[in-house]
Amino acid sequence: MQEARAEVLELIPPKPRRHSELKKRIWKNKLLYLMALPGILFFILFKYVPMYGLVISLQDFKPYQGIRGSEWVGLEHFKRLFTEPDFLMILTNTLVLFGMNLLFFFPIPIILALMLNEVRIAVFKRTVQTLVYIPHFMSWVIIVSISYVMLTMDGGIINELIAYFGGEKINFLLSSEWFRPMYILQVIWREAGWGTIIYLAAIAAIDPGLYEAARIDGAGRFRQIWHITLPAIRSVIIVLLILKIGDVLELGFEHVYLLLNSMNRGVGEIIDTYVYTAGLQQGQFSYSTAIGFFKSFIGLILVMAANWLAKRMGEDGVY
Amino acid sequence: MRKKSMLLVLSAMLAFVLVLSACSDQSGSNNNQPSPSADSGSASEKPSEAPPANEEPTEITIMLPLNIAETPPDTIKTELEKLTNTKLTYQFFPADTYEEKLNASFATGSLPQVTYLKNQATFIKFKEAIRDGQFWEIGPYLSEFENLGKLKESILNNTKVDGKIYSLYIGRPLARQGLIYRKDWADNLGLSAPQTTEDLFAMAKAFTEDDPDKDGQDNTVGLTDRNDLIYGAFKTLSSAFGTPNNWGEKDGQLLPEFMFPEYIETMDYMKRLRDAGYMNKDFAATSKTDQVNMFQSGEAGLYIGSMQDVNSLYNNLVKNVPTAEVATHNKITKPGGEFGIWAIPGYNNVVLFPKSAIKTEDELKKVLAFFDKMMTPEVANLMYWGIEGTHYTVVDGKAKEMDDKDKIEREVKGFKDSVIGEPETNGQYTGYHELQARIDAEKFIIENEPVAIHDPTAPLDSATYTEKGQELQKIITDATYQYIYGDIDKAGFEKAIEDWKSRGGQKIIDEYTAAYKANQ
Repeated sequence: MQEARAEVLELIPPKPRRHSELKKRIWKNKLLYLMALPGILFFILFKYVPMYGLVISLQDFKPYQGIRGSEWVGLEHFKRLFTEPDFLMILTNTLVLFGMNLLFFFPIPIILALMLNEVRIAVFKRTVQTLVYIPHFMSWVIIVSISYVMLTMDGGIINELIAYFGGEKINFLLSSEWFRPMYILQVIWREAGWGTIIYLAAIAAIDPGLYEAARIDGAGRFRQIWHITLPAIRSVIIVLLILKIGDVLELGFEHVYLLLNSMNRGVGEIIDTYVYTAGLQQGQFSYSTAIGFFKSFIGLILVMAANWLAKRMGEDGVY
Repeated sequence: MRKKSMLLVLSAMLAFVLVLSACSDQSGSNNNQPSPSADSGSASEKPSEAPPANEEPTEITIMLPLNIAETPPDTIKTELEKLTNTKLTYQFFPADTYEEKLNASFATGSLPQVTYLKNQATFIKFKEAIRDGQFWEIGPYLSEFENLGKLKESILNNTKVDGKIYSLYIGRPLARQGLIYRKDWADNLGLSAPQTTEDLFAMAKAFTEDDPDKDGQDNTVGLTDRNDLIYGAFKTLSSAFGTPNNWGEKDGQLLPEFMFPEYIETMDYMKRLRDAGYMNKDFAATSKTDQVNMFQSGEAGLYIGSMQDVNSLYNNLVKNVPTAEVATHNKITKPGGEFGIWAIPGYNNVVLFPKSAIKTEDELKKVLAFFDKMMTPEVANLMYWGIEGTHYTVVDGKAKEMDDKDKIEREVKGFKDSVIGEPETNGQYTGYHELQARIDAEKFIIENEPVAIHDPTAPLDSATYTEKGQELQKIITDATYQYIYGDIDKAGFEKAIEDWKSRGGQKIIDEYTAAYKANQ
């Protein structure tokens, strides 16, 4: 009864009192707000304030003239971006890599987590878990170097094996066909283990009673996974999926940049690497900001779309 | 208000650079000085207002790229301060990310009094800012200083911007490129030093197929190369074929090297080498470390690049193959061709003096006085070779490095790359070498000078080139590799040239040609 009244009161806040009401509420929960303060400050300082820098995408920014002194050029840089002969190629490459990431990489940690969950020998389970985490702590430079050593045509072990079995050596490193598979396999290698953590935590939170009940009803392992585990972690999967989509264009600058060379640039150049080579290395700040802006814009649209879809499917979404 | 907007730009820049490059976190290595933002505030309060008495040391802050992993200790700096009566603050930043650092510091107006750039390419990018009057023109002052006046006119000319001198240069020999090869292998096979590109091809073939190390196994290859068309083998080979250096004159206009038939010949040659397997097939993805490893492990027998690399190549090679011998060689031409070798414009880096940090003429003169002293043998030797008796000894009037190379690298290397001028002008010792191949190399480097092929555009300007020359160059670089790898044919390469032209290349040609004619 009281709750209902409180709700009604909240629904019709008398206008003049609203301000003090808010103050009161903040004061009431001051400790909570205090706890949130560092986070809020972080976002203001490092996420919102720098957005001011986006205005240089509308300028012909000269570092020595500063933001105030630089000439305004309107959408000039965006025009240049969209008319750039390579623009379509770069956008396609970015989206294709993103799609592959979603299609081939995203399910792997889930499958891995489900498999780990079914392992009954604790020691074995933990060892495997640790082993699959390890690559995450290696930098891309190392991962790419190891791949180079294994895949090179000049004595790389994989090509030597192929040659040993009578096959023709494959030019993995310097071909446009192998760039994408190589990229995605490296991502899986490095990140799959790490990705299982959240799923394993979610699985651990499932009430064991459910499994017991299912077993009594005669459900086998696969039925238990299908009817209990997966539905239970469904919302986690969806939240992670939306977040992943938000990172759509964060394909790992370092990773792709290290893999890029003259032979695979046609499929490997993505927005990030283009910003770096065309923009930052050449000191074209305005142009690179414009590209970065465009990239964030795509990311925003995709997140909103994914969130909308999630809500349509009856999930919570991220906001 | 100004300060506030500066802070905003700074944070924007920082976030931007961090997000995009994601690999610049080494900049923390400048642990002994305040952050750039703190610097910008104090720059104007430096003691320039009240000229100190003669004995008082001048305070100078210097920003420069660092080619080793760790900031050097103060050993050299302390001595240097004593010799030059200065109080120096060195801001070292890793060379790999130095350009970003430069750009960010520049954007926030926090460049220190003495700003080293990274290389010629950075210099070209800074020309616009130089024209805008952000840096001191130092040309008129040079003659006031005894030693600075000795700097080579011809090289200063190459560093001029609109006919004015704004920078001091760090001199380098004009042409250090040549061939380093396994002498013992050549002897085993009865081969003499290659005179023509065909001899070289035969040598690469023999090194690959004829078991030059006589161990009965097919485990050797001819040439080892890397993903660098300039300092790797390609450009040096292109000189052998008679290709101009970057740009050449044809029918009264300047054209880029890749529009000359000799460039195609060079590509064909590289293609032949690679197709036949006489070089590492993955060279377009090979780093310098991997390239050098192939030579040092005794797998490859030919290395084309800086002949001065021979010491480190040899030292590491004999660790693996104790009986190995190496030799250096140049003067390779195409059959019937004339010898020439591409040259750099005589410097590899320059120093600029930002007006934002140096407020008055007096202050500028004090900073220049420091560089004037740097061009005395005493100071130049200290910075280039280290402390006599600790880092080097003098043998026959030449500097011989001590055995502890790690110590030299740690303590001296950071300063070595910042000495202006060259031995002829600053009086520093030349190096003493025991390795015959290196002694030869030094001789070849001197012999290269009269036949050096110069880049005619070095003293010229093209606004389009400054803006997107390097970006456009990528089209050609990619096409060159693709041609060598057989992904495209001659028609494909010509299409790439057309592409280059239509996206701004033609404008570059026109601008350079106009500047070239005006200069004559």
